[in-house]
Amino acid sequence: MNQQTLTDDQIVAAVLDGRRQDFEILIRRYSGKIIHFITRMTQDRDEAQSIAQEVFLKIFQNLPYYRKENNFSAFIFKIAKNMTLNWLNRQKRTVFFGTLLGREFNKAPFRQEPPRFSLHDQSEREIEITRNLLLLPEEQRLALILKVYLEFSYKQIREITGWSIPKIETLISRAKSRLKKNILLQERNREFVLHAREK
Amino acid sequence: MNCKKASRLLSAYQDRELTPAQEQEVERHLRDCHACRTEWDGLQELVGSLKRLPPPASDPYFPTKVMARLQVNRARKFRLLPAAAYALVFLTIFLSGFFLQLSSDNTVGIEKPQAATFSAVLMENQDLGLLAVHDNTLILFER
Repeated sequence: MNQQTLTDDQIVAAVLDGRRQDFEILIRRYSGKIIHFITRMTQDRDEAQSIAQEVFLKIFQNLPYYRKENNFSAFIFKIAKNMTLNWLNRQKRTVFFGTLLGREFNKAPFRQEPPRFSLHDQSEREIEITRNLLLLPEEQRLALILKVYLEFSYKQIREITGWSIPKIETLISRAKSRLKKNILLQERNREFVLHAREK
Repeated sequence: MNCKKASRLLSAYQDRELTPAQEQEVERHLRDCHACRTEWDGLQELVGSLKRLPPPASDPYFPTKVMARLQVNRARKFRLLPAAAYALVFLTIFLSGFFLQLSSDNTVGIEKPQAATFSAVLMENQDLGLLAVHDNTLILFER
């Protein structure tokens, strides 16, 4: 049978049946989305690759616990979400204790400044959006990314996060308002500075 | 529909999460209300900008890397097996020794059948044509 026509459930059954190599089909099918999700959450492309590898190893370990009646996509994004949030929490703790001990970290992956790669391959506007995305509260950022970049429905987001639909709706709405306000404010500030320079 | 309610629904409307009836209500309101239409345009522009952010470049070797790590993990698991087997054998020997020692300690008070007595019975009865094979069993043989 053609790999493209196999459903996720069929592939999972084959892997559990001993055809481990079929897991690669699932990796090829979902790695782009998973890496995109982690990159948007962490804004760190290199770390995203390494977290994504861990995510797929974890998915493999957890395949026996996957139930057919659930959505496979939600199953794997739940694992990706948990591992990404764990990573973000670890980074926050590292930065917190680093500050407490008065140490400077050369490479603090949880950054408030624009990510390294952005400076080279993104426009100023994109850097601004990336920075503002990173400044959103974690839950708002998560809900917005799952909706806008992964195009999940509120129901699917509920499966991944365990939040209620009204909560998801509120989080996304607030995230959009906040982003809009911040970006607008920064644009006005920039115009003000440019205007002042001209004078 | 008033502006407050419309504003609250705009985000869900954009996400296509409203019922058809609610969608119609919002659309009607947007046609009539300039302020809400401006807000809607802002939302559309924002989401457009978010979606225009390019996805991270894909690594063509990513699947191969993950599969290689799966193999390594599996090999590691198998390397652990002999170690676990050795540990189990060692533990079994140790525990058997320990329990044997314990059981021999417990039987100190019990009178053991003495080989000397057994032999004595055998010797005494040889002339009579008797052979002792057990403390309580004697079998008679003809000479």
